[in-house]
This record gives sequence, structure tokens and C-alpha cells, in this order.
Amino acid sequence: MVNDRGQLYTIEGIAAALIMLFSAYLVLSATSVYTPGDTHISDMQLEQLGTDALRMMNTPINSSSSASPLQDILYYNGVQGEFNGAGFNTIFLNYVNNETGSKIDNAPNGLHYNATVSYYDIANETTGTLPFYANSNLTGGEHPVRVTEWVIVNKTFPGGGGTDVKPRAVLVEVLLWRD
Amino acid sequence: MTDNAGTLSIDFLAGFTIFLIAFIYVATLIPGLFIGLQSRTIDYDAVAYRTGVILVEDPGMPYNPSWETLDDYHKGEVLRLGLAVSKDTPNILSSQKLDRFFCSTWAYPDDYRSRVIFGNYPYMFNISFQPAESNLTRSIGDDPPDEYGYIRRVVKIKGISNASIDDSTIQTYKFNSSDNVTTDVFSIHLNFTNLLGDEPNPAYQINPYNDQIMVNVSGMNANVIPIPPMTAPLSTNLTAIQICRSKPISTNLHPPVVCFANFTSPIVDNKQVDLPYPIENNLSLIIPPGFITTDLADANTQLYFNLTFDHYNAGILSEEKGYLNSTGSGPFEYNYDPKNITLPKLQDGVLEVSVW
Repeated sequence: MVNDRGQLYTIEGIAAALIMLFSAYLVLSATSVYTPGDTHISDMQLEQLGTDALRMMNTPINSSSSASPLQDILYYNGVQGEFNGAGFNTIFLNYVNNETGSKIDNAPNGLHYNATVSYYDIANETTGTLPFYANSNLTGGEHPVRVTEWVIVNKTFPGGGGTDVKPRAVLVEVLLWRD
Repeated sequence: MTDNAGTLSIDFLAGFTIFLIAFIYVATLIPGLFIGLQSRTIDYDAVAYRTGVILVEDPGMPYNPSWETLDDYHKGEVLRLGLAVSKDTPNILSSQKLDRFFCSTWAYPDDYRSRVIFGNYPYMFNISFQPAESNLTRSIGDDPPDEYGYIRRVVKIKGISNASIDDSTIQTYKFNSSDNVTTDVFSIHLNFTNLLGDEPNPAYQINPYNDQIMVNVSGMNANVIPIPPMTAPLSTNLTAIQICRSKPISTNLHPPVVCFANFTSPIVDNKQVDLPYPIENNLSLIIPPGFITTDLADANTQLYFNLTFDHYNAGILSEEKGYLNSTGSGPFEYNYDPKNITLPKLQDGVLEVSVW
């Protein structure tokens, strides 16, 4: 004798198909899965911006200029171990926040950075790092990108070189992040 | 006796078939949905980044003569729209290339898409540029929608050099005639060996092939004495601009200067004019980028632009003395001496690319 146990009826099949389609549509259209691998996009934009800003700061405005703005800032009248951090802050933020007047509203403003200068300590044969300027402190929760620029500076640095002033390459390192 | 055990009902077959079709449909749909949701902005960001790199770090193709010197009839020869001064100077943009890129005669998006965006997908885009300390934004393309790829590049724009010759310069270098003459000739000298060799960095170089050469003269009538004395001022015409050159054959020989062509439609006072052209007290002469080609002058050429001025009184050729004339003093040197020339200066700017 035929009974109805274990049978799938037509109406149930249609209902199941509709529920599956609706569920798939709802889930996929309501969420965008942001995987860790995708963060490189915003990192790339920020890194490019910071790299450009440092590069432009290290470019003299004309051929008769003896030094770039960044070289002048690092030289700071030859004072050992000190730099014109306020000057760097003004120019760097001006570069990274500069944007056109077009209707592009996701420009990465609200930028923070922490800049240091690394140099080679000739006497001790080690690498020394000096604070440059920071408009915000890293607390550990941020996700900064690192941008660097080699700069030739004609001054002495702590620890090495003594009073012998000669051009030397130092590394300006900026950790850059946004809110 | 037969029974119905092991048989399938028609209801079950119909329902299972519908279920299977729906399952296959959903399974094939899911990857497509993920592509749409996930890769779109990532793809657009990558295209925006690539476009930014091409614009900011590449001089474009063709390079010599540079693409911006090609007129609208030859724009089909432009393969790539880079704005950099050279491949060795990333982020340093040419002002002439910017002017050509944002000109009104190129059509958005067709003229740009195949030369700067690339790819088979018909991307839409907005590229905008603004110099620092200016509210003037130059832009091509539509306003971006809600979702788009984006890159912003900090750049510098290489300015143009220019020579300013005023009354005091004329007196200092004795650029005026001491004899009574009806015709004065003033010569501008471009020493290619020095222009290209003294400043090797393309960001600061005065490159006569790709850069605009500009000479502004003021106070031209300040010391003019009509012969014989007249109450009415003389009228002066710029009659011709001869192009002359000499090429060193060997270091011990001074080759002759040979005039071989005329600059028939120069840009004077910021407009293209036909000669003769009446000159008042001032003159602004522009030699546009691309006018001087390697056929005209190679890297060792001494090139001269000889400006000829005729003076008239009541329509009759008339004598004077004291007008702009370099016959006795030697030509005006267009070089890197800051006393003669305002050197090219770099100005800050920002370039944004949006792609969707």
C-alpha cells in the first residue's frame, strides 16, 4: 500500500528553491565581506600619498636653490640633534591634505603621523634614531603605514662624526595613519 | 503479487527536479555575486593606481617630439598620455603637457580611455588637477558615483623660463643702435650645448625642444631718436624673424652662421600673428614647444632668432637710432644666467584619479 511517508511534494520543492534563492540574495546583497587581504588598498593609497609628500619635500624648487625644503628643515642652522619639526609638520600636512576642488569626498583627511630620523653613528658603528615630529602618539591600536626618504644633510649627528661637518645620508621615516 | 514498494511518485520527481535546477542555478550564481561585491572596488582602485602612475611617472609616448606638440589632426599618433617631464623625474609634471591634456579639443572618454586608462572594460573616470595656492581645478570626466576607485598624487609642475629685457638691460648690454638706421636687427641666441649640458636634470633644464621659450622686451622706444627729428613718433613693424644656425665642425673651426628659414607665424603678444606686425613699446615673443625639432637643431647647434624691425614715418621707411639692436653688442644669450632669465620653477600641485 502506497503511503505519503518520505515524499517531497511539488509545492515544497518550489518553496525550498525560493527560500534558497531569497536567502542567497539577502545575504550577498546585505554584506560585503572585507577580508584582511583587502586592507592593502587603503594602505597603498596612504603609502603612495606619504611617499609623494616626502619626495616633493626633498625636491628643490629651482636649480639655483642649494637645498630642498626637507634638507633645510633637517639642517636647522646646524644644531646637532635637533630639527625644525614645526616646519616639517606644516609642510607635510599641507602636502598630504591637499586635494582638488572636484567632488571627491573620500580623500583621506584626519591623518596622523610620527616621524623619526635615523642616522649612522660613525664612532659607535651603530644606527641612531632621533625623534623628528609627531602630531599624534601611537597607542598600539592604529594601523600605520611606513614611508621613508633618504636625505643628504650637511651637519653633524650625535655620537659620530665629531666636529667634521660633511654631507651624510640620513633616513627620514614617517609612520602614517588615519582615524 | 506486485506492490508499490520501491516506486517513485510523480510528485517527488517534479519536486526534486525543481530543487536540483534551483540548486545548480544558485551554485553557479554565487561566484558571480562575489565578483560583483568584492572585486569591483578593488579592481577600480587598482586601475586608478595604475592610471596615476602612468600620468605622474611617465612622459607619454611619443616622447621626442613629445605627444603634447602634436595637433588635433595628429592625435591618433599619441599612444600614451604621460604628464611627467621625463621618465627620470617622477612627480614632476610638464605644464605644457597639462595644458594639452586638459584641452577642450580632446573628447571624453574616447580620446583618453585608450591612452591612459587602458583595459578592455569600458571604465569611466574623472581626472582632476589643481595647483597649490589656487582654486582653479582642471578636470575631465563626470562626477564619480558612490563607489569608485581612487588615488591621489602629490606633484610639482615645472614652470616655464622667460627672459625679461627692460630699458635698464638694454642700456647695460648696449642693445641699441648707435648709428642712424632704418632697420634694426635683434638676435636671440640659444646655445644648445650649454642649455642641454649645463643643467642635466630635466626638472630644471631649459629644453628648447619641449619647453616654451619666451622673451619679453619692454621700453623699446625709450631711447629712440628719430633722424631727422620729428614731432610724431615713429611706427615700427616686426618685419621678419630669421632662423639661423651654426654647427661646430671641429673644436678649432668656427663655422659660419647660416640663416635657413623664417618664422612666418610667430606668437607675439600672446597670439599667433602674421608678419609684418606693428610693435608698440613692448614685445612678447614665444617660441612654442615642439617648434624646434631635432631636424632644426641638434644637441650641438648654435641657434639664432634674428628679429628684424623696420621704422616708418607716415608710411615711409625712416631712420632712427637708439632702437633695440644687437648688431654691435652680440646676441642676447638665453641661458641659465639668472640676470638674463627667470629659470623654470617647480610649483606644488595635486592630481586625483577616480575610476568606476
